[in-house]
Amino acid sequence: MNRPPMLMHVKIQNEERDFGFWLPLFLLIPLALVILIILSPLILIAILVTWPSGWGKYALLSLQAAFVSFWALRGLEVDVQGRREKVYISVV
Amino acid sequence: MSENKKKILEMLAQNKISADDAYRLLSAVDSGESGRGDAGHGNTGHEDTGKRGPEIKIKPKYLRVTVTPNPEAHATGNGNLFQDGNVGRVNIRVPMSLIRAGIKLTSLIPPEALDKANNALREKGINFDVRNIKQDDVEELIEALGDMEIDVEGGKGEKVKVFVE
Repeated sequence: MNRPPMLMHVKIQNEERDFGFWLPLFLLIPLALVILIILSPLILIAILVTWPSGWGKYALLSLQAAFVSFWALRGLEVDVQGRREKVYISVV
Repeated sequence: MSENKKKILEMLAQNKISADDAYRLLSAVDSGESGRGDAGHGNTGHEDTGKRGPEIKIKPKYLRVTVTPNPEAHATGNGNLFQDGNVGRVNIRVPMSLIRAGIKLTSLIPPEALDKANNALREKGINFDVRNIKQDDVEELIEALGDMEIDVEGGKGEKVKVFVE
């Protein structure tokens, strides 16, 4: 199993300002899990209510897809320089 | 240091190739040398699928898209970050796992939206049903991407490269 992403580095630079920050994703994961656990009864009820119409399945799959997509972010790097702006995003 | 690596570094020093090209060439030399020696121990960022022998199938790990602008097109000589030859530079690295996850998201697309997508493709002359994309096909496609390399030079001298590593 791949390791989850730990840090996200975002840097935006233009002629007027230079802005950057490091986002500790390893702290967001436990926080998201706690929120998920707290909201799990509501989510479960919503899925059960919408299941007969078919949308419950999509709700469940979207949760899984969001988790898998987040887990796969490690290694993403975007470095774009325009005429007036420079954007750098890195997930490690 | 092997002769190949020396030549690559000389070309980089003479600005005949970019740093990205030098990195890719050095990685290829490393994987070739490690393939001739012990298999499966390279530092190219690839995953070894475990096959042994003279041909080792490297599993692609990242999709890279790079755009290198023509430095002469925007050079002003004053060294300003936004006015030198770096304007229009793009360097993107996408993990293959993210691409796989993105393709799996197609299962979330409602059938009505899939029908609209199919109709739009048919209008453009592409008779393809997006529902036919299966997980096994995706894996085969990703493995085949290992041999893909797109190298385009634009009219203004910018170079666009799409490759996997």
